[in-house]
Amino acid sequence: MTDVAVPAEVVAGHDAHDDGHHTSLGLSNTKLAMWLFLGSECLLFGALISTYLLSTANFIGEVVAGNPTVLATIPEALAEEFAAEGSVSPIFDIPFTSASSFILLMSSLTMVLAHKAISEGNYKNLRIFLATTAALGASFIAGQVYEFTVFFREGITYDGNLFGSAFFTLTGFHGVHVTGGILMLISLLIVSFRGKLQQDRAETVEIVGLYWHFVDIVWVLIFTIVYLIP
Amino acid sequence: MAIIEEPLALPAGEPGPAVKPLGVFTRPRETTGLTTWLTTVDHKRIGIMYGAAAMFFLVIGGVAALLIRIQLATPNNTFLSGDAYNRIFTMHGTVMVFLVVMPIGAAFANYMMPIQVGARDVAFPRINAFSFWVFFLGGLMLNTSWFLGGGANGGWFNYAPNNGIAFSPSTGIDYWSIGLLIVGFGSLTGAINLITTVINLRAPGMSLMKMPVFVWMTLVTQFLLLFAIPVLTVAQLLLIFDRIFDANFFNVAQGADPLLWQHLFWVFGHPEVYLMILPAFGIVSEVIPTFARKPIFGYPFMVFSGVAIGFMGWGVWAHHMFVAGIGPLSVTAFSVATMFIAVPTGVKILNWMATLWGGRLILNTAMLFAIGLVTQFTIGGLSGVSHAIAPSDTQQTDTYYIVAHFHYVLFGGALFGFMSGLYFWWPKVFGHKLDEKIGKWNFWLMVVGFNVTFGPMHILGLQGMPRRMQTYDTVMGFNFWNMIATIGSFVLAVGTVLVLWNALVSYRRWKAAGSPNVGPDPWDGRTLEWSVQSPTPEHNFDESPAVTSLDDFWHRKYVEDENGQVRRVATGDELAQPGNPEGVHLPAPSYWPFVLAAALPIIGYGLIYNLWLIIPGALLVMTALYGWALEPADDLDLPDDHGHGGDDDDHDDGGPPGGAAEELETVQ
Amino acid sequence: MTELAAHTEAHDEHDHHPTEGQYWLVFVALVVLTAIEVAWSFIGLEGVALVAPLIVMMILKFFLVAGAFMHLYFDLKILNGRLFSWAFFGALLLAIGVYFVVFAAFRWEI
Repeated sequence: MTDVAVPAEVVAGHDAHDDGHHTSLGLSNTKLAMWLFLGSECLLFGALISTYLLSTANFIGEVVAGNPTVLATIPEALAEEFAAEGSVSPIFDIPFTSASSFILLMSSLTMVLAHKAISEGNYKNLRIFLATTAALGASFIAGQVYEFTVFFREGITYDGNLFGSAFFTLTGFHGVHVTGGILMLISLLIVSFRGKLQQDRAETVEIVGLYWHFVDIVWVLIFTIVYLIP
Repeated sequence: MAIIEEPLALPAGEPGPAVKPLGVFTRPRETTGLTTWLTTVDHKRIGIMYGAAAMFFLVIGGVAALLIRIQLATPNNTFLSGDAYNRIFTMHGTVMVFLVVMPIGAAFANYMMPIQVGARDVAFPRINAFSFWVFFLGGLMLNTSWFLGGGANGGWFNYAPNNGIAFSPSTGIDYWSIGLLIVGFGSLTGAINLITTVINLRAPGMSLMKMPVFVWMTLVTQFLLLFAIPVLTVAQLLLIFDRIFDANFFNVAQGADPLLWQHLFWVFGHPEVYLMILPAFGIVSEVIPTFARKPIFGYPFMVFSGVAIGFMGWGVWAHHMFVAGIGPLSVTAFSVATMFIAVPTGVKILNWMATLWGGRLILNTAMLFAIGLVTQFTIGGLSGVSHAIAPSDTQQTDTYYIVAHFHYVLFGGALFGFMSGLYFWWPKVFGHKLDEKIGKWNFWLMVVGFNVTFGPMHILGLQGMPRRMQTYDTVMGFNFWNMIATIGSFVLAVGTVLVLWNALVSYRRWKAAGSPNVGPDPWDGRTLEWSVQSPTPEHNFDESPAVTSLDDFWHRKYVEDENGQVRRVATGDELAQPGNPEGVHLPAPSYWPFVLAAALPIIGYGLIYNLWLIIPGALLVMTALYGWALEPADDLDLPDDHGHGGDDDDHDDGGPPGGAAEELETVQ
Repeated sequence: MTELAAHTEAHDEHDHHPTEGQYWLVFVALVVLTAIEVAWSFIGLEGVALVAPLIVMMILKFFLVAGAFMHLYFDLKILNGRLFSWAFFGALLLAIGVYFVVFAAFRWEI
């Protein structure tokens, strides 16, 4: 184990920031807490992704085997496509989802630019980038909602079969996390407009950014595993 | 014990403060009474509340246990119906695991760990309060199922598809999953809090390898919680969606595999049992050196074996599923892994024994309980090793042999360790010791009662008595040992309750004698908590202790002279910090953790009874979150205006030790 | 505060922040990778030939976001506490490891 001693300056105590520069890892309490939280989220999304993979594989297995209970939950044409492909790929609109992915990636960029802005004291840019990130996130959610309605119309419902349950749960959880992130971004924006988000609080933006990037990473995983890999 | 001496309002005529409190809830101003407990963010008070709540739930779980034993005392008994029996053993297990053992671990970790690392409080005091309240209210919600839904009845592990709406239509299972989901938030936030505290808030000079073993075990436990709870959360969510929203995760007709539940549950469940025992291991690693008058044998090995247990605990979960229908390769792999995990625990047992060897033993109650853990956990561990061998486990699984195993490790191990901690740290927390004479009765009745109850279960198990069966027929030949076990259980109950009696008697006697204080170092201890007054001052340390070695406090009391003999140079009382709170800035109390915690069961009840309830619940959650983030700085009228910046992800900085810290400005 | 600020600067990792141009570069790389991924999934490959490169690209994107945007690339170099990197990568490997075994137990019934 690393043997790390805290610098002597801390003994004086009175000026000790806990903003990371005197702690043994160099991370402030809040930043460390966010990383720990994200670590636990790895396990959460890992479980959801695994559940999705297993559920969908089982679902396709039943469709291919011609299980009538399962076949009754989707339109016949769709069932034929699934059986022919041996996967649920036919239902996905890859170009549309790619656009969604692009939007989310761009929002990560604007997020990191927002943090850069506040570190440099550029509050105008901070607000522009925060608002853009939130807007891009909202567009992503809108895209997801649209995609879900398309699926409903095509016959995939939440309670119908294993695939529906698993798909909507996984992407739904991701969407809820994105929405939570958007709320945090809007809160930051409001705080900034009230003049209370100053350069010395840049770390707050960074920490919200960590959360946002993590949500983006989860989408990177979901996009590849769910949409691209049959 | 005034936190805020003056009211927040300014004298008439002065302009208002630059920051104005937003909204209805300003920071609470009471200094005594119930509100101070409801709004406290002091880790010590929170630790005490965890302990008290755990004792309350212990009584519930214990009564359930006695009901089970009454039912099983004689063959073909009709004391409990099959349905009632299912509910009682399910709730017994659920309550004991989630609402007793885990919270007692949290109680000790919360109270002792910050002091042992030389900190003033944990990294996020309000989140700490939230963790407690969400555990307590979630636990209460779970127990309302006794009256409202008939209690969960699927076993504490609640397997699918039995837990689905088809086979368990009553709301008991919903209470189980939703109640525990809420309780889980407490564990998760607590884990983030305590890990951050250990990593960031240690006293200067206390490197990781100079921390007490108890802190190390706490740290590993929190990491286990951090990563295991989300897995259980997913399992519970999938179940909730199945039951309430008609999802199909465990719907076999649609092709679902019920083993999914088992895997998810046991991926959580196995780290879970390690996180139940590790705090007790940590406690015993403090008690034994203190009363053997020797340092812990092999400190690095104690640390590394604890970490190893934490890691390896992730690789053995399917040993709970040997007969569930997993493939032969899985069975083999998990069997081998399980055998390996006995090694680090064995290392610990040997180290404790080596610590005892050659020591000048003081066999007081705390020490007796600690030795009790070492012996009884070893017995439980030996039966565990026999379970690791898959072919023999095929015989043992789902029999009373398993029941014997886990009670030996959890009760004879963890709970005995907690009793040891109770007797050890009671003077530090409350300023007086627990009575030793009652303590000895407490210990011996528990040891005898415990072994008479659970020892015979090994025999019953090997004779084939199955678990979770409401009754047995006389032709099976189980009568004798069951009756013995029941008698033992009542002895055990009396013995266990004696600790509560001891608390009462000791307190009364202490008060009657005029509350004489026991002093900072009644046991001639080794670690930092004995260097502050008893009961612990609210601010813990007057100034940050500067640490130069492991067991630093001990080494300031005792040095080695030229002949290598240990000589005392100072007493604990002389060295202890006087407890002067001047110039100390403590985090202020807050309503919001309680409000946020109370909002979650509202959503929970909404999920069970009426989905519209979720809306006010969610609104309350949002209100609480924003109230929390935006609430005013605590001591507005102190000369150095230090605000606790609440940022939008609910984390606030508790501040490092050493007095006034420059904090971020409040949002307002 | 000024002494502290000066002291802060000495430890400051802000000198190591990427420039705006570098952030844009990372973004472009991410977009390009995504485009390749999508194209790859359309060209009619199957089995390992299809899946393996997709996984590789996914991992690349992961490290790009984590390393550059989440600053991990710089944090891990500068921080003298290896515990942190162990904790993060430990969590990641743990999640992958555990869930892979669960998946294997199901799909291949080992």
